[in-house]
Amino acid sequence: MSEEIVKIKGSKSGLQLSFADGATFDDVRQDIEDKLVSGTGFFLRGTLVLLPSDAFTEEERGKLQKLFHEHGLICRTMKPAEQQTPSEKVREESKQHQEAVKKAKAEKDKVQEMVVVNRTLRGGQEIRTESSVMVCGNVNPGAQIIAGGSIDIRGTCRGMVHAGAFGDSTAFIIADHLMPTQIRISNLIARSPDEMEKTERAERASIKEGRIVIEPIER
Amino acid sequence: MSEIYVITSGKGGVGKTTTTANLGVGLAMRGKKVVLVDTDTGLRNLDLLLGLENRIMYDLIDVTEGRVPYKKALVRHKKYDSLFLLPTSQVKDKMAVNPEQLITLCNELRKEFDYILIDCPAGIEQGFKTAIAAADTALVVTMPEISAVRDADKIIGELGRADKENIKLIVNRIRPQMVENGDMLDMEDIDDILSLECIGQVPDDIKVVTSTNKGEPCITMDDSQAGTAYRNIVGRMCGEDIPFMTFEKEGFWTRLKHVFRK
Repeated sequence: MSEEIVKIKGSKSGLQLSFADGATFDDVRQDIEDKLVSGTGFFLRGTLVLLPSDAFTEEERGKLQKLFHEHGLICRTMKPAEQQTPSEKVREESKQHQEAVKKAKAEKDKVQEMVVVNRTLRGGQEIRTESSVMVCGNVNPGAQIIAGGSIDIRGTCRGMVHAGAFGDSTAFIIADHLMPTQIRISNLIARSPDEMEKTERAERASIKEGRIVIEPIER
Repeated sequence: MSEIYVITSGKGGVGKTTTTANLGVGLAMRGKKVVLVDTDTGLRNLDLLLGLENRIMYDLIDVTEGRVPYKKALVRHKKYDSLFLLPTSQVKDKMAVNPEQLITLCNELRKEFDYILIDCPAGIEQGFKTAIAAADTALVVTMPEISAVRDADKIIGELGRADKENIKLIVNRIRPQMVENGDMLDMEDIDDILSLECIGQVPDDIKVVTSTNKGEPCITMDDSQAGTAYRNIVGRMCGEDIPFMTFEKEGFWTRLKHVFRK
């Protein structure tokens, strides 16, 4: 085969898929399934896969999304702006508005995926999830939170917190008193200073210019 | 209505057994019918603190394995008629009793006694799980020291996992002078992390050591600060509202007193 049906291209945010012109939905699905089953190094669990938004109908994209989910991958439709080839971009223009509305809705659904913990996390306890986490209580030393999304702690954070654990470097961590043993965001690690003082204001940790930055916020 | 308490801590050496002995004697002094169950199989100490070692005939394992009825294994305290000890075995290990057996036993004891205090072994393994199984209330003993507080935190988590909602805190071996100087965690620091209702603050007291060696808990001594603190805990367990005592610090006058004593 001179041209592959499904082309995979790595990008900053995840894997971008593009499909050969004239490939039918069934061809594409079969090809993706083969790739997933054969366990190619591309499709690691938790990887973000982006589908071109102009390919197939929404329903068919839904099917593909489900297929990826079954194999532990996160699948989203690409935002039109992220699309690579200019020709695609032009084609996109007409549909753009329509798509944007749908996207906003999808994005909203995504935001609502959140684990709420309504107690204090004590030493030795662990929360591990692909979504975001909100804790109404403290996170004590020795406790761990590992979240795919962001972490919001309505209390004092003294444990180990890892936001964006599956590669999302836009994830952040907020706490009323942020004094963790370690902060990890995506693939960066920061540890607390050896002499830790209790902070008076809520703080937010996020990645800025390739480092973890902590800044006070209003809450 | 009888109540079952488990006295636990996670870390060793913070004073679980001392607390059990003192609270037991304290409740008996108020005329309550009390049984102390030692579950620290293989490392039993509770009998020593009560000075009852030489009176032990049968132990917890004999009872749970059905060799004798529990009444035969109970040891009555020599001074307080309503205080009994159910000692454990020194030769077996923690695997010898399982949670179901202890629950069955405690349900029987419930009919006879007002208070059942279970002395828990250190650690979070089998022995701990057995000891907490039957309890209505857990008393977590800790010390103003980061490792003891960290372990208490873990224990509170484990108690939560075992659906024990009723948990209270006793902070033992406080050295007021060190707290004053900022060399020791104060109650605020501890409360910050554990956020648990505290029913006792017991100062470090050399009389605890001498009373342990004599087999007579310090709660019986009127001149012991730790004894007073334990008496207050007993009062709170009986539903009284007692304010926390302020500790006698090594101020100018006390230092002066020491000088004159010499």
